[in-house]
Amino acid sequence: MPYFDDVAVGDRLPELAVVVDETQMFLFSAATYNAHRIHYDKDWAREREGYPDVLVQGPLQAALLARAVTDWLGGDGRLVTFSVQNRAVAHPGEQLTFGGTVTALHGDAGLVDLEVAGRRGETLLMPGTATVSLPRRPGEDG
Amino acid sequence: MTESDLIPPEVADRVGTVAAEASGHVVRRDWQRWAVAVDDLNPLWFDPDEARRHGYDDVVCPPLYLQYAVLGVTPLAELRADGSSGAVSGNLAFPRAPKRMAGGETTTFHLPAYDGDLIHMVRTIASVEEKQGRSGRFVLVTWRTSYRNQHGRLVAEAETSMIARP
Repeated sequence: MPYFDDVAVGDRLPELAVVVDETQMFLFSAATYNAHRIHYDKDWAREREGYPDVLVQGPLQAALLARAVTDWLGGDGRLVTFSVQNRAVAHPGEQLTFGGTVTALHGDAGLVDLEVAGRRGETLLMPGTATVSLPRRPGEDG
Repeated sequence: MTESDLIPPEVADRVGTVAAEASGHVVRRDWQRWAVAVDDLNPLWFDPDEARRHGYDDVVCPPLYLQYAVLGVTPLAELRADGSSGAVSGNLAFPRAPKRMAGGETTTFHLPAYDGDLIHMVRTIASVEEKQGRSGRFVLVTWRTSYRNQHGRLVAEAETSMIARP
């Protein structure tokens, strides 16, 4: 778990590597009450929408990206703001990675800005930013 | 507002109005099902002792799950042909741009949500614009959403967008 005092601009979060499969996609659609065919109906995805396969849900990519952040934060940090854009689609079976880099520190508030991204190889799927709150190292400033 | 082929006038007229309001309880089992689907086994979502050790009253709802706590039910006959439901986005119809994709979301989290909290969501249509992208024209819809708990306190605020293409 990082303390605010130990974090520097340029630090990289541990990267989360995930291969999403149809079972995970089904459970995520169920958990989010999402019946959108594009996530389970391969004929619909191919013939009606012109994709090679069903699409990994954008909100699942966002949730995986947020997980990369909250895994790094540990129990004493807090996600304050989370912002992502859906830039490119992903399909089941692909190797995806989720990570982030520290871009700014706000010492007065104990806040840290991050640039975050979901990627497939070099392809940027989901760029975004996050602001997190980190605790001070005990005894650093009383 | 510019002339648009893709945006029906009845949709353009709704910019600035409330698209949807919904209330729902935050349910531990439901957020844990969501978390498992994300393979996100953070002890704050699952382990009350661990959550209390970090200053929370109990296990907490994962921030990104909050938006689903207010979802109601949509009868099968009311789903769109592509299976999607417009219930929480105001059922905006774009007959000339039927292919829908999530755009982006920006959410600020103010307070934790706990099992049993009753969340009230108010979603306003912030803008509906026709744009020109690399692969052609599309419609960009932006909503602003507030989530308040049973004490009237603001738990989260979000700006979300959706893209609709011909």
